[in-house]
Amino acid sequence: MSQSTLPSKSSLSRITNGFNSLPTGVQGFVNATIGMGILLFFWWVGGLLIANNPDTEAFAGFAPGSAFVALWALITNGELWGTIYSSLYRILNGLFWGIVIGVPVGILVGYFIRVRQIANMPLQFLRMISPLAWMPISVLAFESWDNAIIFLLVMATLWPILFGTAHGVQRIDPNWFKVARNLGADGYQMLRRIILPAIGQDVFAGIRLAIGVAWVVLVPAEYLGVTSGLGYAINDARDTLDYGKLAAVVVVIGAIGYMLDFIAVKLLKRYSWHAG
Amino acid sequence: MSYKASNVWIANLSHTFKKQVKPTLSDINLSIPKGQLTALIGRSGCGKSTLLQMIAGLMIPSDGAIRIGGHTVTKPSAKWNMMFQNPSLYPWMTVRESAALGLVFAGTYKDKKDKVEDLLDMVGLSELKDENVQKLSGGQQQRVALARSLATEPEVLLLDEPFSALDAFTRTTLQNEVAQICHDQGITMVMVTHDIDEAVAMADNVIIMSQNPGEIVGDLKVNFSYPRDRNSEEFIILKEKLFGEFEKIDQAKQKELLEMA
Ligand SMILES: Nc1ncnc2c1ncn2[C@@H]1O[C@H](COP(=O)(O)OP(=O)(O)OP(=O)(O)O)[C@@H](O)[C@H]1O
Ligand SMILES: [Mg+2]
Repeated sequence: MSQSTLPSKSSLSRITNGFNSLPTGVQGFVNATIGMGILLFFWWVGGLLIANNPDTEAFAGFAPGSAFVALWALITNGELWGTIYSSLYRILNGLFWGIVIGVPVGILVGYFIRVRQIANMPLQFLRMISPLAWMPISVLAFESWDNAIIFLLVMATLWPILFGTAHGVQRIDPNWFKVARNLGADGYQMLRRIILPAIGQDVFAGIRLAIGVAWVVLVPAEYLGVTSGLGYAINDARDTLDYGKLAAVVVVIGAIGYMLDFIAVKLLKRYSWHAG
Repeated sequence: MSYKASNVWIANLSHTFKKQVKPTLSDINLSIPKGQLTALIGRSGCGKSTLLQMIAGLMIPSDGAIRIGGHTVTKPSAKWNMMFQNPSLYPWMTVRESAALGLVFAGTYKDKKDKVEDLLDMVGLSELKDENVQKLSGGQQQRVALARSLATEPEVLLLDEPFSALDAFTRTTLQNEVAQICHDQGITMVMVTHDIDEAVAMADNVIIMSQNPGEIVGDLKVNFSYPRDRNSEEFIILKEKLFGEFEKIDQAKQKELLEMA
């Protein structure tokens, strides 16, 4: 009975949660360490192969040893923090605007059939354009490089958030609206007390996907004009043949990406009402 | 048809759904007495839920008028509340939050916190107030829905097969409790049911609806004091009488339909 009256776990959340149902506690920690150990091993072997091949030995800096030395230098001389700050500033801005535009539009698209019918084609069309394809337009349209990059990031974050929200609204049990109206809810109360809590987890699942895409788009976007950020640091290290530093920045990108995803998963769980 | 003595008053109500030719409800005139429990029985698809939703203001009839205590019903209101077959609780809420929802919408929860606590005690959920509603059984969920409907102190409570999804024991208990609440608190209740037992166990009046088009074809007073003993002779006689009435009307209607064809 309770199964039939309350919707079951959505397919979306099942997909996005799949990787989070890892064992917890000591066992989980041990397994994670083993996993990272394997990754490090392959990296180390790769480094050896590169160093021992006369054609590629100039790139020996990619190996873990020199990468961690370079990483330590980046941390101690403080260069890293400014770099991370610039990138995070852009990412958070991109996310902020993605949410500010994506959630309300997503609600309208999900709630009103007419809006959905009108907006579906153009939105699907825009969604299929690679965020990076907007680069020339973005550079023309925005005076500052920072804003141009943020625009590219918004074009990356907007779609998962918008479609995640719309999907969530469409999935709301029609009885929930009926019951709320019956209890005297006005439009604002319907939004605040019913729709927003109902779609919380869909929105955060969208945000999680958005963070993933934005983080991927960020690095090539920072090859553009700017002189700060992780993408710039990579480009700069390449130009100065400092491959240890390049590998160190790659490590940092992976680590921060992982942390952002971790935070998104925490939020997703916090706003998810599905039992279990 | 005295309008003053009744709480729900329906005049010349007909309804035809969009894109349909035949009316689903036809020329319904009813005067439902105040403070009593009126059961509405009829075959599946005859339009009982449709009629109830119209009384609740959730649907507008294509013809006719509904008045509750002097107000014409044009939209939903906390004064006339509907309880659905399905509890439709919001899975992110606790039992208390669910029961308080109507008061929260009305902006009066702060002043009426005690009311919610009392109602939850009354429906036997004292121990579960802080639990998430997903942890509750079907019967417990339906009790939460009942408390939620009663919290706004409706003049009229409309019940659409509220117990049909419950097991027999829980159903019997809740039937007795709801009939008790109706009379203790003087709430006017209109209840749709498929179940003749349920009608005889709970109702003061039974209204019989027929199909194609849905119309009122009969009624029966149940003068039988509470609590009603379901094994008593009186109960069984009433049940047979109602069943007979229902059959008779049904057969007449079938015949009429056959002759028309
Ligand atoms: N929105 C709608 N549009 C068109 N027809 C509808 C609509 N809602 C209900 N109907 C039709 O109206 C008739 C009455 O429906 P209703 O749900 O009121 O029946 P009911 O008496 O409550 O049946 P049950 O006992 O099975 O719950 C049915 O034939 C149904 O198919
Ligand atoms: Mg029905």
